[in-house]
Amino acid sequence: MKKFVNDPANFVPEFMAGVLAANADLLEGNLEFQMIKRKTIDASKVAIVQGSGSGHEPAHVMAVGPGMLTAACQGPVFAAPPVDACYETIKAAATDAGVLVLVNNYQGDRMAWDMACEMAEAEGIKLKQFIINDDVAVQDSLYTVGRRGVAGNFFVMKAAGAAAEAGADLDAVYAVAEKVNANVRTMGVALTSCIPPQKGDVIFDIGDDEMEVGVGIHGEPGRERTKIKPADDITKLLYDAVQSDLPFSSGDRVALMVNGLGGTPPAELYVVYNKAAKLAAETGLTIARNYVGEYCTAIEMAGVSLTMLKLDAELEELLAAPAETACRIF
Amino acid sequence: MSTLTIADVEQAIDITCDTVIRNEKYFSDLDGLAGDGDFGTSLATGFKVIKADLPTIDKSAVGAMLLKISMICSKHVGGSSGPIWGTGFMRAGMASKGMTEIDYATLVAMVGSALEGIMARGGAKRGDKTLLDALIPIHETMQAMDGSDLKAVLAAVAGVADKAIDETRNLVAHRGRASQVGERSANTPDPGIVGIATILNDWCKHYGVDFVPNAPELNR
Repeated sequence: MKKFVNDPANFVPEFMAGVLAANADLLEGNLEFQMIKRKTIDASKVAIVQGSGSGHEPAHVMAVGPGMLTAACQGPVFAAPPVDACYETIKAAATDAGVLVLVNNYQGDRMAWDMACEMAEAEGIKLKQFIINDDVAVQDSLYTVGRRGVAGNFFVMKAAGAAAEAGADLDAVYAVAEKVNANVRTMGVALTSCIPPQKGDVIFDIGDDEMEVGVGIHGEPGRERTKIKPADDITKLLYDAVQSDLPFSSGDRVALMVNGLGGTPPAELYVVYNKAAKLAAETGLTIARNYVGEYCTAIEMAGVSLTMLKLDAELEELLAAPAETACRIF
Repeated sequence: MSTLTIADVEQAIDITCDTVIRNEKYFSDLDGLAGDGDFGTSLATGFKVIKADLPTIDKSAVGAMLLKISMICSKHVGGSSGPIWGTGFMRAGMASKGMTEIDYATLVAMVGSALEGIMARGGAKRGDKTLLDALIPIHETMQAMDGSDLKAVLAAVAGVADKAIDETRNLVAHRGRASQVGERSANTPDPGIVGIATILNDWCKHYGVDFVPNAPELNR
């Protein structure tokens, strides 16, 4: 393993301290609870929190900022945040307007946030919890009952964040999250595994000439292991799975994301986007907004995921609204 | 005594820590018969932290102490046992919020709330061969008693848990990791139920309550 790591046990707090140091104007945190929050929280607006395992950066603590999350917490790499971190994050973000708790569909995350929400509600904090599950690859997997929550998470945060910023109440912000999740679909593919710092080794073996189709963002198995193909063929595999699932159909306006899983260079992401855009045109889709870059990664895994979100006027306006976060690529 | 003080609850938890830590290997071995063999270690890892932190944690009220223990459980007990046991302590803590003394009715309500929380969290019900098969009849037994003699209550619930081990031995697990091996889980005791029964058996010994268990798991 070759990584920029000191003591692997301190990896998460050290990277979080770096995020705070680089964004001292915007963010503050409490690293005892692996939590980062906005410096200024408007008490009249709905707060949005999220938290999951580390290793998916810029999700989730790096998505805190005006127009996005109010606060977020991290677990260890690929492990759910502890309940006390979730609870403190809700408390730190809580406003009079209430808190929307966004949870990706993994058993560990769900149980931790369920408990934290119950404790926070007992304290009189108004909140609603919403579960994100956009991955079309598999119905159940290693860590989930039902579909996994992956890169589509970005669109839920962005749209709900914009709605909250605009002053929508908790029910309305929740409805936006619901609408995005109902209309967003993702599938990913891995060319290599990744190395969690504390494990120090790859989490699965894959041949030089193989790919894992439908991989999860923790390296969970997907639909099948096959021989690697040219980029256009891989892109078509992903596109067809995503497009047919909703389905997206002629005349739809969409947001299309090509998300790098951490070890794939930008140029390769654009090779994928080039083909995805052509396929979308063939289906008769209009790409109203595109996102090419890293939004939800699996450490240094070489791979991509393709996400499409079907838009309506409301969602298009919410995605276009300004937002500012620690990773300024949003 | 018909009410319990913060110190009483603290002591019962301390005894529980000792029981869980002492049985780390045994509980894992039991779990290995049908599950993934981590139950004892998962639980002991968390209860070692509870044991270490117990002298210094917030003891302003029974509820505050139990909520803190719930946090430790969910943070340090691995696998699904963390949220399950953590939820039990959390619900018991909520039902005793702000109280420096708990009467029998509160104690019964704490157990009831804990098992409701565990059911909601894990999605299990009676007969699924989980610790609920001990906790639900324990709660029913407590409800049927007036609580004027807490030693009698302890003897009764220890007996209920003892019986639950044998009553569920031949069931097939429907929840938790053991459910994935289906029929293979029959003829093995559920480690969660054995855990509850062992804790109650140890409480009986500590508090001088006469109780002779039947299950071989409690007569090792």
